[in-house]
Amino acid sequence: MQNTYIPIPMKVDKVVTEDPEKTLRTYDLSFVKNSDLEQFQYLPGQFCEMSLLGMGESPFGIASSPTEEGFLRFTINRTGLVTNEIHNLRQGDTVGLRGPLGNWYPVEDFKGENVVIVGGGFAFTTLRSLLIYLLAHRENYGEITIIYGARNPDLFIYKDELETWLKRTDMKLHLTIDKPVDGWKHDTGFVPAVTEQLAPSAEKAWVVVCGPPVMIKYTLPVLEKLKFPDDRIITSLERRMKCGIGKCGRCNIGSQYVCIDGPVFSLEFLKTIPEAL
Amino acid sequence: MIKIEKSNFVTFIRSLSAEYNLFAPTGEGRQSAFREVKDIKQINSQIQITHNSPKTVFLPQTEILFEFKGDDIQSVQKATKPMFFWGVRSCDARGLNLLDKVMGQSKQRPDDPAFQDPYWKARFDDAIILTLACNEPASTCFCNWTGGNPFSKEAGDLWAVETETAYLIEPISEKGKDFIKKLSGYHTASEKDEQKIKALKKQAESCLQPAVDTKTLKEKLPKIWDDPLWDEVSAKCVNCSACAFICPTCYCFDIQDEGKKGKGKRIRTWDCCMFPIFTKEASGHNPRSLARERVRQRVMHKFNYFWETYGESLCTGCGRCIRVCPVNLDIRDVAKQLLETASAA
Repeated sequence: MQNTYIPIPMKVDKVVTEDPEKTLRTYDLSFVKNSDLEQFQYLPGQFCEMSLLGMGESPFGIASSPTEEGFLRFTINRTGLVTNEIHNLRQGDTVGLRGPLGNWYPVEDFKGENVVIVGGGFAFTTLRSLLIYLLAHRENYGEITIIYGARNPDLFIYKDELETWLKRTDMKLHLTIDKPVDGWKHDTGFVPAVTEQLAPSAEKAWVVVCGPPVMIKYTLPVLEKLKFPDDRIITSLERRMKCGIGKCGRCNIGSQYVCIDGPVFSLEFLKTIPEAL
Repeated sequence: MIKIEKSNFVTFIRSLSAEYNLFAPTGEGRQSAFREVKDIKQINSQIQITHNSPKTVFLPQTEILFEFKGDDIQSVQKATKPMFFWGVRSCDARGLNLLDKVMGQSKQRPDDPAFQDPYWKARFDDAIILTLACNEPASTCFCNWTGGNPFSKEAGDLWAVETETAYLIEPISEKGKDFIKKLSGYHTASEKDEQKIKALKKQAESCLQPAVDTKTLKEKLPKIWDDPLWDEVSAKCVNCSACAFICPTCYCFDIQDEGKKGKGKRIRTWDCCMFPIFTKEASGHNPRSLARERVRQRVMHKFNYFWETYGESLCTGCGRCIRVCPVNLDIRDVAKQLLETASAA
């Protein structure tokens, strides 16, 4: 019988420290067993439970896109017992993984339409997955607009890629930081305010929002003001998780389990769940 | 319907325990639970409802998911004879079916074995459950509030009722029918026996308090989501979780690693949504930091959320929570209060 509680082994191929304070590290993992690689099919928005035997597990959004073959990318914020231990992993170490779990961004629904992506801080992980996926199928989508904010220039993730994306003509990337910093060449201001100023058109468009709860809280009213309908505002929820397969109850909100009914939900649906927002 | 005279019951039990791992109510008072029995003397036939529900066997309080040594993982799953459960009350039989909907199946990913719990299935799928009618419901029984009945044949593989001189047994499921087919040497129940069952049922139903329909809570509860009534309801509760542990349908669990890097095991243990740190995240943020939010969560899950997803009540009215609560919080009073407030809202 299949046992989804048992993690598969992965090898750490590459470690990139994203910020000078060393709170954010990006790990590229490859599959130890070929059979696991072949079976692993995922879409942007899904997550995995990363497993450190003896310490525990934590859920992380998959930052790589399924169009990037052979590896899975995760960016980990060092904050508790398990994540501190993950930050000790080095190239060549093995780590356990369970997934792919959860549902995904409705990329089929996005086809033929414009996509606006609003992200904050290190919640940009699954948004990177989504962006790379859209760019790999560029002809299927309309205008791609990204508004990505971080507290300060150090706390952006995937800085090298951000530079290349700024140069692309088939998408528009706006970067913003909370408060002015010398030498910063891009926007300044909180994400909700910058979103309101840039006023992306809601015409034939979908918007995906991922970020810390306070950013989402103040961005949603801006999007409603810009006339994005509730069923086209997509977000990804987070809750403490354990089993990841909709059984242990920890991530339960209303009738939903974030780990299996979500984590991707539309605002229209979230408004029917009292505890969600 | 077959009839097993009480004088033959010893033989029946002996043959069951030879072919199956036989489980039955054993023990007294707070020690009463479903345990494996080899002999009729171990069975407690006097008890209306065991202190611990049969959940303790199918979803044990702790179990080892796997052991690890280095990167090597060993899953510990022993093959055993299928289990036969004698003397399960209808509330508990319903409870097991409800647990199976979550653990053995997946509403969100039907037909995907990756989302079925293999540990649960190894125990539940082949088990035979015999639902024993309740001739004398206890004062804390309220199955009739949740759509149940002391003589319900809704859940289980076999149904039985105890008369003065015999046990009358009939099959409910296909598994039950196969079981009956294999039995021999027993009489069929008579017309007189059928009459006796009708009388016993009537008597049992008269023991119950008049039903309050908790199904209407499903629509009404969302109306009073922010009502100050929740402060009143949760004021007594100390979030000890006794109710959840004793409940035949509560299934929340925790997964923890024991040992250290290099050698140890990953275990699963019962947990409760009412523990203050149940939803606490590594950042320190806690979506349910207030007691009123946690008590509301448990009540909503039993009487609204589960209805939304599965079309059924998650409470089966067994009354164990009422017996065990250290501050005498009675879910029946809570349900009545909520209905009154919601109807006025």
